[in-house]
Amino acid sequence: MSGGYKQQPGGGGNETRKDGKRVAGKQSFSPPGSGGSKPEMSPRDLDFIPETVGGKEKQPAGSHIHDRARTGTTVGKRTTLVDANAKVTGQAWYGDDVRLPNAIIGRIVRSPHHYAKVKSVDTSKAEKLPGVLAVATGDDAPNSFGVLPVTKDEHAMAVEKVRHVGDLVACVAAIDEATAREAVSLIEVEYEVLDSIHDMKKGLEDVDEPIHWRGKYHVGTTNVQKRVFQEFGDRSMVENPNASYHGKWKFMGVNHGFTEPHAVVAHWDSNGRLQLYTPQQVPHYAHRALATVLDVPMHQVNVIRTFVGGGFGGKSDPFPHEMCAAILSRKSGRPVRITFDREEVFWVNRGRHPSHIEVQMYADEEARISGFDIDALIDGGGFASFGHVTSYYNGVLATAPYELGSFHYTGARVWTNKPASGAMRGHGAVNTRCAVEVGLDDMSEQLQVDPIDLRLANLLPPHSRTISGFRITSNGMRQALQRVREGSDWDNKFRKLPLGKGIGIGCGFFISGSGLPIHWDPNKFPHATVHIQIDMDGGVTVHTGAADIGQGSTTAVAQVVAEVLALPIEMIHVRSHESDTSPVDLGSYSSRVTFMNANAAIRAALEIKEKILNAAWDALGYHPDTLVLNDRRIYYKHDPAIGMSYLQALHKAQEDKGALIASGAYRSPPMGGVHKGAAAGLAPAYSFSAYVAEVDVDIETGLIKCTDVWAAHDCGKALNPMAVEGQIIGSCHMGLGQVLSEQMVYGRTGHLQNPNLLEYKIPSVHEMPNVTPIIIESCDPEGPFGAKEAGEGPLLPILPAVVNAVYDAIGIRVNDLPLTPDKVWAAIAKKMKLEGIDDPADLPVPRLDFSELQSKLVARAAEHETRDKRRQKSEDTDAYVNGVLFGFDPNVPLEDQVEGWMSSDKPTPEQLAELGLAGTAWLKEEQRNMGGGN
Amino acid sequence: MVGEEHVSMIPAAPSEVWSAEVNGQSQEVLAPSNAILLDVLRDKAGCLGVKRGCDMGTCGCCTVLIDGEPRLSCLTMAQDASGCEITTVEGLADGAHLAPIQQCFADHGGSQCGFCTPGFLITSQALLTKNPNPSDKEIACAIEGNLCRCTGYQQIIESIQAAASIHRGESELANPASDAHPDPHPSGPEEPTMPPGHAR
Repeated sequence: MSGGYKQQPGGGGNETRKDGKRVAGKQSFSPPGSGGSKPEMSPRDLDFIPETVGGKEKQPAGSHIHDRARTGTTVGKRTTLVDANAKVTGQAWYGDDVRLPNAIIGRIVRSPHHYAKVKSVDTSKAEKLPGVLAVATGDDAPNSFGVLPVTKDEHAMAVEKVRHVGDLVACVAAIDEATAREAVSLIEVEYEVLDSIHDMKKGLEDVDEPIHWRGKYHVGTTNVQKRVFQEFGDRSMVENPNASYHGKWKFMGVNHGFTEPHAVVAHWDSNGRLQLYTPQQVPHYAHRALATVLDVPMHQVNVIRTFVGGGFGGKSDPFPHEMCAAILSRKSGRPVRITFDREEVFWVNRGRHPSHIEVQMYADEEARISGFDIDALIDGGGFASFGHVTSYYNGVLATAPYELGSFHYTGARVWTNKPASGAMRGHGAVNTRCAVEVGLDDMSEQLQVDPIDLRLANLLPPHSRTISGFRITSNGMRQALQRVREGSDWDNKFRKLPLGKGIGIGCGFFISGSGLPIHWDPNKFPHATVHIQIDMDGGVTVHTGAADIGQGSTTAVAQVVAEVLALPIEMIHVRSHESDTSPVDLGSYSSRVTFMNANAAIRAALEIKEKILNAAWDALGYHPDTLVLNDRRIYYKHDPAIGMSYLQALHKAQEDKGALIASGAYRSPPMGGVHKGAAAGLAPAYSFSAYVAEVDVDIETGLIKCTDVWAAHDCGKALNPMAVEGQIIGSCHMGLGQVLSEQMVYGRTGHLQNPNLLEYKIPSVHEMPNVTPIIIESCDPEGPFGAKEAGEGPLLPILPAVVNAVYDAIGIRVNDLPLTPDKVWAAIAKKMKLEGIDDPADLPVPRLDFSELQSKLVARAAEHETRDKRRQKSEDTDAYVNGVLFGFDPNVPLEDQVEGWMSSDKPTPEQLAELGLAGTAWLKEEQRNMGGGN
Repeated sequence: MVGEEHVSMIPAAPSEVWSAEVNGQSQEVLAPSNAILLDVLRDKAGCLGVKRGCDMGTCGCCTVLIDGEPRLSCLTMAQDASGCEITTVEGLADGAHLAPIQQCFADHGGSQCGFCTPGFLITSQALLTKNPNPSDKEIACAIEGNLCRCTGYQQIIESIQAAASIHRGESELANPASDAHPDPHPSGPEEPTMPPGHAR
């Protein structure tokens, strides 16, 4: 680094004494954004400072709203997680590590039946067992709860019925584990067994005893929990397609497989308040549900989030066992700890929905995508959980990144007598995305074009609107595709590799925070609030409710505060464990934490900064606009020698007031359409990703080994590249599990066959490919320093990339995940029989001869690239809505210029005749229209 | 169950004195004779850093060193480890200084949620003691019994390689910025004295 800021006019800055120490009074100090007094950081720090404030970094999206707040202290640097030391020393305290004096052990009595009425529960023998201190049943907690306000269908323990094997019936607390287990075996339950259903298709049929009853909104007497119909665009476009794809897909259910089993400690303290320690992703919803179920005001409950040993969506519902621990503690007057064994984790589940998905896709003569028809039947298991949202996500998250001529979606979620499905990384979007991306691959084969070029020529630009009305801001999809194409040497490999080796592409699109909070109080209450406090010691305490589940959200918050205040990250202390001290944060779901929480943190930090600069104004006499806060020093920007230290300014600011305090909040802007379900999938920003996967398929056994993955993800701005890369590689791991080996297997009798980590096949280190993470930074205009999500979106593309690579390797598509060797081999054998081949080595390998469309697509993609760059830099600010590619005017409502352009949320009578599997749910009337219900 | 005579599930085992050297300290505790080592370490010896992930030897979270060998404590009877030297994650650091393997896991993203980390650290420590120059393949073979759901293993392997190079003396800890020594001068560099005659 040359020069730096000279503190003394004409001073050399490099002069040293004979003993090597710098000459007092003549030392240079680091330029703004140098990251403190650490000389080894200075050269590269300059690269991170935006041009707008004197650094070198070029801003990809023009000026960003947070540019003025940037100092180059920590943002964009590989930052060790602030809680890493606790984790590597064994001091991190997870659920089961909370040890309170006098704690006793709780165990749960679970249903052995799939579906039964609970006639009676006799607890007398258990209560008499020495060492048993409390027993509770459903009668102790009659109030229902659920994570979504419209579907509160869960109870702490069975009130009337049990709905799956493992459903909670009663619970006990005893002085030790052995006594508690003994007491569980002494509880006598009388059941009346009912007819259970396990096949999701049966859930569409009328039955005598539906698993839940929704009153006047119940669909017939079926087990349909939620049905969705959405249609946008011009349906006539799909007639006479140039290419089309029809795929019927089956996806098995998968579990999050986090390593820490659920555990909870409940303690009613001496003031009669409940202290509940739980590894929760969403402590606020647990807080709400606990207050409802226990019939106490929310302020009498303190939810303490322990370290969370992996979440991935599986720890985001309020859970019955949390209520059980609280009830047992209230009864016994002692702290109660409940820790699950692995089998219980699978019974709670909330994993990805088993699904039947049918997609039909069409491309027109110019290889534009004229229509997507998606039909998704998803198996919700015994409870609603997040299912209401999942039902929408299975369709609406397929409306980008491509420009569509029309979009038609029917979805249904049914109850079955299995552990409930719920939210899991990539919530709702994963399975449909896989089907759609494979469909594009298939259509590109028919059109004889390169699938990457087909995608590049059909992308929505930045600052546009999808067919369903989602507002796209920054969009790095194009760069992602280009980078993986380049990185993987795609052009020399695709359709050119020998039999058994293949390469495939897949893309992803995901929300960065849900625009509508799950408590459904739209746009009134902030999504995230952050409090910052600085006392006389100068350390910064940040209070946030954001739940760090290993993704590094606490670190991200510390980073953005350090960045705004230009302090070393060691001076930022984040307190995020307790609802008593943390402002409400909606939790770690929908990939919302970085976007919303860090935005709130930046606002709070800016308020603090203003207070400090105002104090410096008083002391120095220069207006804050001319003052720079950097490197723990505040100085006049035209003469850095004039200034004062951070502590001096801070103490000045604290005169008569004491500690500085500021609060910052974030809520998403008003967005979206007005149709039913318009809020599902709305987000203040969206992430984009493209992966190329390379596989080896053993043609003798059907065993697939994924060898390499090039994974490009547009996260807007990587606040912490190390954490983003960790998320990308981790997503590959989890997605590979779903596409190659993981499945929850329900046997002939409906019992879960593999509720353990031996038979539930999570990829080990040997199954992992070599992943090359590629971070794309599209710099979102509303994200914190331009950042968007990186936690869930990176999972989506790996599934279709692998399936497409398998086709490239052996010319066979298997639409039944996971692609276990038995299925793949069966498909190989079938194809051999069909083609009359005896040796699998003679299998034909797909090859590609470009049609004349290819050059058209390349030209169109090049044109679009210019268009996208102009829009990204805000040189072109014209409106762009889905449909412009088809020649429509974005400034006139499409309904007015295209006959037949529609937006509908109910099928017409004619459409009822031609519905897909899930769509048949619309053939039934709701009770209120049948004169039934209550 | 109704109407049948109840048979106690777990016969009470007599308690015995269990003693071992845990992380360099000799420990003597009273534990049932059929106790599992994992339970004794967590509930009696205070080593809560040893994690319970599956209770059947499939996840590796509970790995500890018994006389220098990595062992699954959930599949080990406490009595079988009686009198042995046991090292858990709490025993890796030297006072306030993290062991290289710990520092490298922190600095290279080898730990995300951190629940599997103690098991990985113990397994890698055992590997590096025996083989200070492991190939990626050898590392993979060493940690194949440990399950991580967050990292996809890649950054774990990088962490172990980084620690190996420190063990071999080829490199120092990569990230002194995050060393456990916070900046002694939180107020920043000393306020420079105004040069004489400098006009404000």
